[in-house]
Amino acid sequence: MVRTYHVGAVPVNALRGVSLDIEAGEFVTVVGPSGSGKSTFMHILGCLDQPTSGQYLLDGADVSKLSDDQLSAARNQKVGFVFQSFNLLSRTSALENVELPLLYTVGKTMSTAERRKRAMEALETVGLADRADHHPNQLSGGQQQRVAIARALLNKPSILMADEPTGNLDSQTSIEVMEMFQQLRQQRGITIVLITHEAEIAEYGTRIVAFQDGKVVSDRKQEDVACKSSRAS
Amino acid sequence: MQIQPGILIALQALGSNKLQTALTMTGITIGVATVLTMISLGSGAESAIEEQVRAAGMNMIIVTAGNYKNKTADDLGAVEEQAHLESPGAWEPAAWNPANSPFLLRVDHPEDDPMEKHDHPTSSQRLGDAEAGLGSAATLTPGDAAAIRGISGVQYVSEGLHENAHVSAGDKRWFTRLHGDNVALPKMRRAWVFQHGRFYTAREESKAEQVIVLGAVAAQKLFGEANPVGQKVSVWKQSWEVVGVVGSGSWMVNAAAGDDQFDAVYIPFTTVQRLLNLSRLNDITVTTASSGDVTRISKEISKVLRERHRISFKSPDDFTVTSQARKALAQGGMRSEVAASVVGNMAGLEKVTLEQLGKTLDRASKTMTALLASVAAVSLLVGGIGIMNIMLLSVTQRTREIGIRRAVGARAGDVLQQFLTEAVALSALGGLAGVMLGIVAAYLISSLVQWTVSISLVSVLISFSIAASIGIFFGYYPAREASRVAPMESLRYE
Repeated sequence: MVRTYHVGAVPVNALRGVSLDIEAGEFVTVVGPSGSGKSTFMHILGCLDQPTSGQYLLDGADVSKLSDDQLSAARNQKVGFVFQSFNLLSRTSALENVELPLLYTVGKTMSTAERRKRAMEALETVGLADRADHHPNQLSGGQQQRVAIARALLNKPSILMADEPTGNLDSQTSIEVMEMFQQLRQQRGITIVLITHEAEIAEYGTRIVAFQDGKVVSDRKQEDVACKSSRAS
Repeated sequence: MQIQPGILIALQALGSNKLQTALTMTGITIGVATVLTMISLGSGAESAIEEQVRAAGMNMIIVTAGNYKNKTADDLGAVEEQAHLESPGAWEPAAWNPANSPFLLRVDHPEDDPMEKHDHPTSSQRLGDAEAGLGSAATLTPGDAAAIRGISGVQYVSEGLHENAHVSAGDKRWFTRLHGDNVALPKMRRAWVFQHGRFYTAREESKAEQVIVLGAVAAQKLFGEANPVGQKVSVWKQSWEVVGVVGSGSWMVNAAAGDDQFDAVYIPFTTVQRLLNLSRLNDITVTTASSGDVTRISKEISKVLRERHRISFKSPDDFTVTSQARKALAQGGMRSEVAASVVGNMAGLEKVTLEQLGKTLDRASKTMTALLASVAAVSLLVGGIGIMNIMLLSVTQRTREIGIRRAVGARAGDVLQQFLTEAVALSALGGLAGVMLGIVAAYLISSLVQWTVSISLVSVLISFSIAASIGIFFGYYPAREASRVAPMESLRYE
């Protein structure tokens, strides 16, 4: 894949030919210095962006040929996002934040009560059912990130994108969040692509990909430390 | 995304930012409130003026028996005087000779009795000999009234027989005007308000019953403040049942002692005919459906009556057709300051035809409407730009929110719909608040300055839908800007 941006007249080559196969159920951690292209890579994987040339097949569908509306639907159905800065809607309760993807699900009419129920279940899986009515500014960083994870999981996506999810968290909370990712992979078989610049965090993955100057410089698979049996082939 | 969640999202977004929502609404609220207040006061004033003009009798024509042209030239020139006479030189000023007249009303007028003592002006002092009915010509018949009813454009016709009479109730006695009239009279006198009871009915008229309606002044003199309905009064040594009291409902006409309308009593003209054994009428009062028709119908009446009375080509009329404009202003009991201002603001009122007067009023109301419309347009434009400004600001402020929504699957169209719905909801809510504020303001102003307001459902609906369409018009551009924000860019936005 190649992705070129145009900043003014100068073309910026964020990705200069990246080719990767990510299997279902893999926990891929992407490392690299800033400007190495890892964020652009994730945006393309998360259907937020499309490659300038090359192909991206998500579940066998060529994302690079999708229209804007189809991309939106793909983000809604197949991808869940977790961001460094949580990206919750302020002045909106945790529950309302979690149910947000359901409001944009095309072709499914769902009653308010049903939406609430689904969102509540998702909050329970991250252990925050008792904070459903709290607004983001009433929650700690770790709690906010768990709300964001609940939101990402709501439509049962096949792939979870995490962009520096521990960047704004202290080390103890970071460990909790990373363990939650591991559990999700093991229990639900969700594919996870996680970007980080911290080596310890990268070690949670089953596969570590290193980026530099828009290219993959190393690609290493390793045993899942926490649960070896669940590793996908 | 379905419509319903779209509205839900927009309302959630508005609700989560209540202060900004309220402030943005204020512009539209004030705009709509201004518009509604102005429309209500304006159309209230317009309909009040129109109503008062009609109440004062602008569409009224009075046909009097006998020719009084030389005595009371108060017909505004609306009826071209004797236009049908080929040779004006041959016309002699109304030399009415009682000897030539076939009929003469013979009524005893108690006030003309030299033995009678009066503490008020006699009717001849008040009204002049001719109108007091002294020696009135009896040239008009109920048949004439029926013929006038047949003229197109005529709204109501009332046969009139007028006397002066002593009315007594218990030990109280009052000398006043007695009008024998048709049941249609209250419909012609638009300024009438029944303080008690009702007018007599068509049935009472056809049976010539002895029922009487008191003018407010007569009622006050005879019964004070008490409700006289059901009481008996005595006129011509006969007993009459009071069925109603009529007063003035117009701010231009107030009931005063000595006026012809409210210092008076009304009985069915048929009863007068029965008791006095009369077949002729003193006058016939006619109203036209449109005040612009007065001149045409006046001419038609002259033509019809001349034919019916077999008046030869060169002979003068044996009746007088008078339209009511100046007479109403001067005589109808209109408040002197109102009459003065109306007369003072119209140069040569006597020369103005009713059509011209109607056109002037029409032009004035058109000018007023245009003024209101431009005030409305400006205030709503300002309100709309306010909404656009806030929405554009809000798109910038909420770039991150747009990014989040896009990341979880919102399509560009969903974002557009959300922002558009927000803008429409803002202006519609603002419009709703403006309608309520406008109604309150209109009534407040009307009670402070005693001005009539008329708030119509149509004006409310118009104000409200203008507000909503302003939301769509001024909300579309910001909403499109919002939908064009690239999801990836907006997530980076801090």
